[in-house]
Amino acid sequence: MFAQTIVNGLLLGGVYGLATIGFSMVWGVMGIINLAHGAYIMIGAYIAVVAFNAFGIDPFMAIPLAMAVLFVIGFLIQRFLLNSVLKTGLLLSLALTFGVNLVLVDLFVAGFSSDLRSVRTSYGSDAIEIAGVLIPSVRLGACVLALLLAWGFHFFLSRSRHGQAILATALDREIAQTMGINPTLTYALTAGAGAALAGAAGCMAAMLFPVSPHLGNSFISAVFVITVLGGIGTLGGAIVAGFMFGLIQSAASAIWGVGTQEIVAFVFFLVALVLRPQGLFGRKYFGENT
Amino acid sequence: MTHKIKRYGAALLWAVAAALTIAACFWLDNYWLRIWTSVLMYVAITQGLNVIVGFAGYHSFGNAAFFGTGAYGAAMLITAGWPLWAALLGTTAGGALLALLLGPPLLRLKGHYFAIATVALNAALAELILNVGGWTGGAQGISLPMSDMSPIALYRQVYLLMFGGAAAATLIVFWLSRSRFGYAVRASKDSEDGAKAMGINTTAVRVAAWMLSGAVTAYAGGVWAYWINFIEVGSAFDVSLSVKAYIMLLMGGMGSVVGPILGAAFFEVLATLVWSKFGALHNLMLGVLVCAVVLFVPRGVIIPMRRYFARRKSVGRAV
Repeated sequence: MFAQTIVNGLLLGGVYGLATIGFSMVWGVMGIINLAHGAYIMIGAYIAVVAFNAFGIDPFMAIPLAMAVLFVIGFLIQRFLLNSVLKTGLLLSLALTFGVNLVLVDLFVAGFSSDLRSVRTSYGSDAIEIAGVLIPSVRLGACVLALLLAWGFHFFLSRSRHGQAILATALDREIAQTMGINPTLTYALTAGAGAALAGAAGCMAAMLFPVSPHLGNSFISAVFVITVLGGIGTLGGAIVAGFMFGLIQSAASAIWGVGTQEIVAFVFFLVALVLRPQGLFGRKYFGENT
Repeated sequence: MTHKIKRYGAALLWAVAAALTIAACFWLDNYWLRIWTSVLMYVAITQGLNVIVGFAGYHSFGNAAFFGTGAYGAAMLITAGWPLWAALLGTTAGGALLALLLGPPLLRLKGHYFAIATVALNAALAELILNVGGWTGGAQGISLPMSDMSPIALYRQVYLLMFGGAAAATLIVFWLSRSRFGYAVRASKDSEDGAKAMGINTTAVRVAAWMLSGAVTAYAGGVWAYWINFIEVGSAFDVSLSVKAYIMLLMGGMGSVVGPILGAAFFEVLATLVWSKFGALHNLMLGVLVCAVVLFVPRGVIIPMRRYFARRKSVGRAV
């Protein structure tokens, strides 16, 4: 039973990590804590729900669509709203993204009501048994795909010109500009790519959790914890910390009961924040060029 | 001479405003009494936020942690049979104590990190109360004992209690704006090293500022619990409470004495009028309002206004 809980939690870790990458990159590259990130995940989940329930499209197949839609949403919100408060500091961007989050969530409440929806695929309850431990195939698939997407994004960052521009901007905004990197475009691109990954994570979340317009609110606290644990603006850190988060949560629920998993995660987070604010894998200068 | 007249004039103006606010509870109808009670509540919360954000420069995004703790503290004490005044006193002290305990580790964090730590603190406290059960009522929340006063007398009492909180919070901010301690708080914000060189214990000053902020916010939460008679974790530890207070602070202008009052009054009355029209979509309207404030009046209304008048005056003098 204990091993089962741990396996379930660990497999969720990949999805958590994927959901965090965009948030962490946006924070690292432009110093914005995007509170609307949870709404991006929620929109991705609704795309999977609608694609499956109305058109019979498999949630895994809906991922490219969700990524495309959210890339556009993230890009536009960054370009036309967030870019304008970028230089004014932390407070305004937090307040603005909170406002954007309220609008997005309430739009979905208006359109879909607050009812819980779910995606039930034919293979939803399949599992592979290894040494007495059941490995749910949906969780396994989501985890593998999440890692593949994270690897793809890593490839994009390290090999493409735009990716290099994003990394350079994260390191030093001013020097990056003197190298001819267009900050407006780079910011919007980072936000768009981050939102796309959040959308993919949302599609996976739709298979694992009941979906409501408030899905993002429960995700955003996990995303916060993982970002800080992994180190702001570090892709690998987000993935590793995502697995750690899944592990901590499932271990806590296996030892002290389901109700305690959030408390343990937050206490862990606060301790990590006080003892090592740059995160386990972060370097000090990431995310501090605000 | 003119300086003295100006100062007495300002004091008189404040006294008249306070007297009018007190008197208002006897002729307002129930609907407006409720709105203005909530305005006064937000004045207290926003001034509490002003202390830690406007003066100390620490972006506390989770001051709802104090509000929720205050609400739960008061609810539990009142249910345990404490008289109202003692429960509120205990709650206020509890808010200060919580800030004293958490201040030293958390106030070491800067900027973003402090902001998220307060959000996490809020969430952790909410989860804690949800899971402890027993005294806190867990997921069921707490129903407070019914008051034996007539409804209108009860609402007036709540209004006056909220007024007391708002007035005390405003006096604290006023005191900070001109006292030795207030200068020490602001010096620690502007330059930590400079303040240390002047012999200021910056950590102690910040913790003290956060204690003031926590005490005021916890008091407001305590009165709120008494007012609405039923509390649960979701509404007591609501992050949007912190954010609303933030927007009010932004609109009014940080570090100003009168700004948060105007910001709270304007925002709450506007929000109430708008929300009654939109019903189910009120969060959407709140979101749009938040975005509009950030995009169009990011510096608040007080500071630009003051600057405008100062410029006019100096132009007049030059001519």
